[in-house]
Amino acid sequence: MEIGISHYLILSGILFSIGFVGVLRRKNLLMLFFATEIMLNAVNIAFAAIGNYYGDLSGQMFAFFIIAVAASEVAVGLGLLIILYKKYGSLDLDVISTMKG
Amino acid sequence: MENLVYIALFAPFVGSLFAGLFFARSPKTHLVGIVNSSLIGIAFIASVTLALHVAEHGAVHVTMMSWISAGDLSIPFGFLVDEVSVTMMLVVTLVSTIVHIYSTGYMNHDKAYNRFFAYLSAFVFSMMILVMSDNFAGLFIGWEGVGVCSWLLIGFWYHKEDKTFEENPSISPSWAANEAFIMNRVADLGMLVGIFLIYWNVGSLQYDVVFKALPHLADGLLVSIAIALFIGAMGKSAQFPLHTWLTDAMEGPTPVSALIHAATMVTAGVFLVIRANPLFSLDAVHGVSMFIASLGAFVAFYAASMALSARDIKRIVALSTLSQLGYMFAAAGLGAYWIALFHLAAHAFFKALLFLGAGNVMHAMDDELDIFKMGGMKKVMMGSYVYMGIASFALAGLPIMAGFYSKDAIIETAFNDGSFIIWAILVITAGMTAFYSFRQVFFTFHGEERYKALGFHPHDMYKYVLVAMAPLAALAISFGWFMDSFHEFITKNLPDYEMSHHTHDLAPFLGTLVIILALTGIFIAWKKYAGKGADAWKRDEEFEQSFVYKLVANQYYVPKFYDEFIVQPYTIASKKFWEIDKAVVDGFVDLIGKMFYKSGDVSRGMQTGSLSAYLNWMGVGALLLIVTAAITALIG
Amino acid sequence: MDHILSILIFLPAVAGILGFVVDKGSAKAYGVSVAAVELLLALGLWASFDTTNPGMQFTEFSPIISQFGISYNVGVDGISLFIVIMAALITLLGIILLRDDTKNMKNMIVSLLFLEMTMVGVFLSLDAIIFYLFWELSLVPMLYIIGAWGGADRVYAAVKFFLYTFAGSLILLVGLLAMAYLFHLESGVWSFNLLDWYTLKLTPDQQFWLFLAFFSGFAIKVPMFPFHTWLPWAHGQAPTIGSVILAAVLLKMGTYGFVRFSLPILPDASVTFTPFIMALSLIMVIYTAMVAFAQKDMKQVIAYSSVSHMGIIMIGVFAMNAEGLGGSIFLMLSHGIVSGALFMLVGVIYERTGTKIMEEFGGLAAVMPVYATVFGVMLMASVGLPLTIGFVGEFLVLLGFYKVSAVGTILAGTTIIIGSVYMLALFKKSFFGPVRHEKNLGLKDLDKRELTALLPLVAIVVWLGVYPKPVLEPIDNSVKALLVQMKNHAQLESTKEAIIVSKKEAK
Repeated sequence: MEIGISHYLILSGILFSIGFVGVLRRKNLLMLFFATEIMLNAVNIAFAAIGNYYGDLSGQMFAFFIIAVAASEVAVGLGLLIILYKKYGSLDLDVISTMKG
Repeated sequence: MENLVYIALFAPFVGSLFAGLFFARSPKTHLVGIVNSSLIGIAFIASVTLALHVAEHGAVHVTMMSWISAGDLSIPFGFLVDEVSVTMMLVVTLVSTIVHIYSTGYMNHDKAYNRFFAYLSAFVFSMMILVMSDNFAGLFIGWEGVGVCSWLLIGFWYHKEDKTFEENPSISPSWAANEAFIMNRVADLGMLVGIFLIYWNVGSLQYDVVFKALPHLADGLLVSIAIALFIGAMGKSAQFPLHTWLTDAMEGPTPVSALIHAATMVTAGVFLVIRANPLFSLDAVHGVSMFIASLGAFVAFYAASMALSARDIKRIVALSTLSQLGYMFAAAGLGAYWIALFHLAAHAFFKALLFLGAGNVMHAMDDELDIFKMGGMKKVMMGSYVYMGIASFALAGLPIMAGFYSKDAIIETAFNDGSFIIWAILVITAGMTAFYSFRQVFFTFHGEERYKALGFHPHDMYKYVLVAMAPLAALAISFGWFMDSFHEFITKNLPDYEMSHHTHDLAPFLGTLVIILALTGIFIAWKKYAGKGADAWKRDEEFEQSFVYKLVANQYYVPKFYDEFIVQPYTIASKKFWEIDKAVVDGFVDLIGKMFYKSGDVSRGMQTGSLSAYLNWMGVGALLLIVTAAITALIG
Repeated sequence: MDHILSILIFLPAVAGILGFVVDKGSAKAYGVSVAAVELLLALGLWASFDTTNPGMQFTEFSPIISQFGISYNVGVDGISLFIVIMAALITLLGIILLRDDTKNMKNMIVSLLFLEMTMVGVFLSLDAIIFYLFWELSLVPMLYIIGAWGGADRVYAAVKFFLYTFAGSLILLVGLLAMAYLFHLESGVWSFNLLDWYTLKLTPDQQFWLFLAFFSGFAIKVPMFPFHTWLPWAHGQAPTIGSVILAAVLLKMGTYGFVRFSLPILPDASVTFTPFIMALSLIMVIYTAMVAFAQKDMKQVIAYSSVSHMGIIMIGVFAMNAEGLGGSIFLMLSHGIVSGALFMLVGVIYERTGTKIMEEFGGLAAVMPVYATVFGVMLMASVGLPLTIGFVGEFLVLLGFYKVSAVGTILAGTTIIIGSVYMLALFKKSFFGPVRHEKNLGLKDLDKRELTALLPLVAIVVWLGVYPKPVLEPIDNSVKALLVQMKNHAQLESTKEAIIVSKKEAK
């Protein structure tokens, strides 16, 4: 059995779903962070696979962009998380909800 | 001649402005009375000259300028002085001149002397437009103009407070003024509809064009036009059921009642029917004309019955006016237009005289109106006694007097037409007329001097005023003598009315019948009232409880009916509508506003502040979008 | 006179901006002089206006966004000319009537001048987008005038006024855009030019929906029943000057919109909708006149009477003949003059006594004779007495509408009865009878400032009542041209039959 485009896309879909469920269900901000990273990487896999499939490099290029963006996001986001942890002593979303309408 | 037309028309207007300018500065200036009376006098002289000219050379027609022109409609300020209008002009200006002079005396002590003359002259101006206009729109200007002047003058003593209906059936001058204006407006709507009908079917409002085109119109249309115009006439001439305003209009100063509510304005409706005789004499509208005649006869009787027991001196005269208007309509409806016009003129003279005489009495009695409280006043007011006597003789239709000729001709017409019911009503009414007018005279001038005990000190009017009234008295006696020459003059313009030989032969007999009835009326009045004792002013409780008296004293409950079935429901409905407006119409708008607030309130719950909840919502949203996209992709 | 229309539109705006730097004490004098110059310019426009030419004159055209055919395009014809003059006149007299101790006089003057720009702009625009721009802009100064100088519930009233009319005009905007899109489909080019739109033939179905969109914008402004409830609130809370301009000019924008947009662009739909409009208008005429009768507040009586009179104007607009349409344009002017004057008069007594409740007065005719006389003249004009300005328009409208529906005309004609009922009741309660409160005995009659503002209106009421020709003639010409254009562009035979330019031609 050859590994074709559909396998990549299924993998990407499963990863994305895992990330999506994580985003919806997790209460810890750090875990949310991980979940979004998983989703981003799921998209990366899909981009790279489809780019390869069509013989178009823009897919891979976008994947690189996303990796770069994700990296900077981690840099900034983790910094914010540390400050939040210092302020509230927890990263639980229910504890740090201040925007109640 | 053109200049004379303008002088006759605008002299009163100048007078009104003159008085108005003075009114702005001071309440009373003697000069105003003199100048205004002379200006109306000038208008009278101009009218006389015009009348002579018309008799010799025929009608004068002038067009001053265009007024409204839009689309195909073009209305000029045009004036037509022909036999009909010049008769009206003579009557109007003559009575106005005398009433103006009279008013300088009558209103001498009034605080708003100048204002009074401003209004009175403005009325004469409007009346002149009404009678002189050469088209229906111009007639309508005068029509509404006299309405406003009448509103101003009835409500002249506007400071008086509202009373209850029981205390004063007219409630207050301002109330009576509003009633008159609004009731007239009801009729004016009918008139407007008539004008619209004429315009859309003829294309013009000029009398000559319209009358020429009338025979070519469909029958139904002619009937509608006739009905609409007559509704207009009913309002101004206070025909049933639009009559209640006339008696209430007596709240105005007495010279006003004499001029407007007896001699001139209220005859405008009759004038309209006479003016539009080419329409009303068409065979197609015979039904309408018969209705006019029948209504006239009914009103003649109806009003006379109310006058029988009235105690208020002005109301009696007002009701007799109403009754006489009925006579005029009866004549006009039967096609005897020239007789209607003749009675109109004769009535103007003797009724103005009667009213002015009543005014003298009121003036002497400090505005007391109850004739039961007077009595024996001929000793102190000989001049007024003679005048009122003459006027009452004329009104009763006794031989030689003006009323004899004109009223008799109307009764004869009814007989000639074969409308015996109308004839019988008119004859009976003639007897009643004689009775109530002499009842009034005897109550006022004969019998015990009841006023003394009640603390009045009457004195007769200024001498010059009494002298000024003399022309009216002379005409009240002699106007009938000119019947033949008037007939010759007016039938150049109005259709002649031929009596059959049969009627002609019976005429002396018919006339005698009326005279006998009138004399009987006077005799009964003499027997019953001339010798009334000192206590007559006290009320007869038992008599006043009787059904007939109550019916008549309450004016057949017509005002009550209007109050309960029109005024009050209207007021209540208005208030209800206002509540609906606030609660339902506006409430619905506010409801939309509140819905937005409410939906905001409800959706506030979503804003928990918890990031994970937001993410859940976002997820749901994203899923929904994907699902919709998928479905559309599948379907589409 | 090359750019007179632009000058007319933007002079008040420029003067308004400059007004911010004017010294506080001389703000009113500044406002009066600017408004006077504007009025003189408007009169100058009339003087150089060719009354025999029914088409657009003094047109100016410069593209703004040519890709979409949006351009600055203004012009004037017999229909708009006099409304512009009236707007300028009413603004001037309104400013004259302002009391010297009005708070924040400078802001008031600036708002009024901006308002004047938007009003003049609406009536002169020939481009749908420019029209819409001025249309919406006019809300802002009025919102500010009601909200800042109004009575106790001013914020509620101002917000209601703003949101209500704004909601309607958004639908109008959609309609205008749809119209431009249809024009694009048909001709391949984009244009918001009204004169281009006039040439477009739309199917009756398209017209139906466009009419509804236009209707929602215009009808709320008029205001037609049942969209009228913002008006009593706005009048009740607005200061005198606000009510005067609102009643005299702003309401006319609605009826003007019907004349300028709905009739010529959508002739078939206009004829189809006539019974519907007639029904609403008759309700307006009768129902609001009755509501007016029930009021205790003098100002509310006049506010509701405005709605009632606007009903007559609407009937005239949809009479589809020269008499009715011309009459309704004339009635717009006369209602502007008369209702403006009546609101001024209510303001006068309110300033003196601090109340507008009629029962508090009584007997004012004796205390303030000149005031009573002026009020009486305006009252008579309001009830449509011949030889006053009120009669000419009302008569022509009813006359014209009689061709459309006799029953409708008789029902609408009841306005002459019930109109006099509420006006005479008002007059009797406030001016007749004994003086109810002793403090009212010392009321001062009209002073110079008030007379300066009111006497010109009295003069106009009489002048145009006796000799309406100079105004009626240009209106008549333009109206006939409009009807011809409608007739030529109607798709249905029934529409062509309903539109009567001249009876002679019909025969």
